Amino acid sequence: MRKPFAFAFSFAIGATAALVALGACGRQAVRAAEKEFLADQVMVFDDDPHEASSDDHIRSNREGAAGGHGAGGGGCGCN
Amino acid sequence: MRLQLSPWREATCRLRSRRGPAKQVQACRRASGALGLAALAATLAATAPARADDRAEVSTSLFAEKRDGGKGGLTVIHPQADFGIDLGRFVTLDAAYAADAVSGATSVIYQVDAISTATTFSDTRHEGTLGLGFHGRRSRINFSATVGTERDYLSRQFGGNASIDLPGRNTTVALAYSHSFDQVCDKDNGMLSPQESKALTGADPCDKSGGIFGKDRPGMTLWRDLSIDTAQVTITQNLSPTMNLQIAGYGQVLEGFQSNPYRRVRVGPNSPQEHIPSTRDRWSISARLNRFLPSLRSAVHFDGRFYDDTWGVIGGDVELGYSQYIGKSLLLKVHARVYQQRAAKFFKDAFFYQTESTAGAYFTGDRELSPVRNATVGAKLSLITIGGDKPVWGLFDKLQVNAKADVMLLDVLAADSLADNPMGIDKQFIYGNSAIDAVVLQLGLMGNY
Repeated sequence: MRKPFAFAFSFAIGATAALVALGACGRQAVRAAEKEFLADQVMVFDDDPHEASSDDHIRSNREGAAGGHGAGGGGCGCN
Repeated sequence: MRLQLSPWREATCRLRSRRGPAKQVQACRRASGALGLAALAATLAATAPARADDRAEVSTSLFAEKRDGGKGGLTVIHPQADFGIDLGRFVTLDAAYAADAVSGATSVIYQVDAISTATTFSDTRHEGTLGLGFHGRRSRINFSATVGTERDYLSRQFGGNASIDLPGRNTTVALAYSHSFDQVCDKDNGMLSPQESKALTGADPCDKSGGIFGKDRPGMTLWRDLSIDTAQVTITQNLSPTMNLQIAGYGQVLEGFQSNPYRRVRVGPNSPQEHIPSTRDRWSISARLNRFLPSLRSAVHFDGRFYDDTWGVIGGDVELGYSQYIGKSLLLKVHARVYQQRAAKFFKDAFFYQTESTAGAYFTGDRELSPVRNATVGAKLSLITIGGDKPVWGLFDKLQVNAKADVMLLDVLAADSLADNPMGIDKQFIYGNSAIDAVVLQLGLMGNY
């Protein structure tokens, strides 16, 4: 099996386990009334999309190991 | 009932709510001011349909790096513009445009007399994206199509991403996938072997009949295919009222022509076009953490990542950041990042290919495949204006002006032992010798309306 796919398989299993664990504790982790600070823009991953894409653009043209920094969002959990 | 909050908290409340402007501040005041009312507001938020803000963002970045003694260098101006609007309660439409105006000079890799052989170049890339999104109370799904064109490169990408808040709304899971059908203009070298192949030059025509779906024109050049599949899974978790965590896994498979068609490498007495494998599988895993410090009105940020691929490149980076509100409307963020990577298996230091041999079938002067350590330090200042009862400039609920500057430092590492490459790495010219390798300046304007 090619290494990335072996990793992907392992990662999928790990992610599923983590998901179950996080989902279970996430229900009680932070109540809605306690999300004031989590909703602040400094707590949002990639809160400035242009800055994030510009950084990725530069790194992907300078570094051989660029890519895969996760998605934006987070914070208050308000999809 | 109207609860009084500090101005910066008031601003935060207005910005982050996904409901209509009139309800934004009200709901957040409740959340900030009284537990009972906050619970009610949160309950309302959970049962109301989600609604994204209309938004617009424009920015321009300047990237500049220099090489010593005129041995190359690069300047890139990168304007971007994004617009997003709601189409009803559940649908959003996004449009984006970006460009790269590139100018610089490049020298022959591993050429001793690089000054006389450096050639100037300039090119402009245009990229347009259209996106369509659907969202519900806890989930959203987006589809997008992107086309990027420049004289010698064509990119057509289709992708989608989906995310869902798990029960409790403290865990968000996101999946993303994209496929890119790229084409690269290359010199038509016929049946020549890699060590005899000539590199593309700026004088070579890269004509294509029929636009982005067209075919080669017979002549000196041809278009080579490159297929890129990218997948990513991201889990974001609220750990406490002041801390959240994000973990991401990323995989990418590239199949096709991946050489820089312009790059020449000194191999023996010749300088053929670089030759690298046509398949590359890449993966990485990353973790990011934010911690809010209420007493200081600030936050600290951590970012760590590990990367590996089938070419032997292993790398990683760590980044620390700090955000601080200053007064009512200023936000300062400072950050520092260190990065290091190992060389690809077929990357050799200067003069190895010339005096010894190729690395198997391959030879390259791509600095992205070389061993290197770099560091970035920078700061970003944001001026945030909240409209209140009167919109900013008569249009925006929120307007944010951003100014950012980064300085990049570089430390070139040796790929081979001195015994294998007695002439060392000083004259391979893939990097400069000064401590400051590049600077990035960015100005941006971001508004919600």
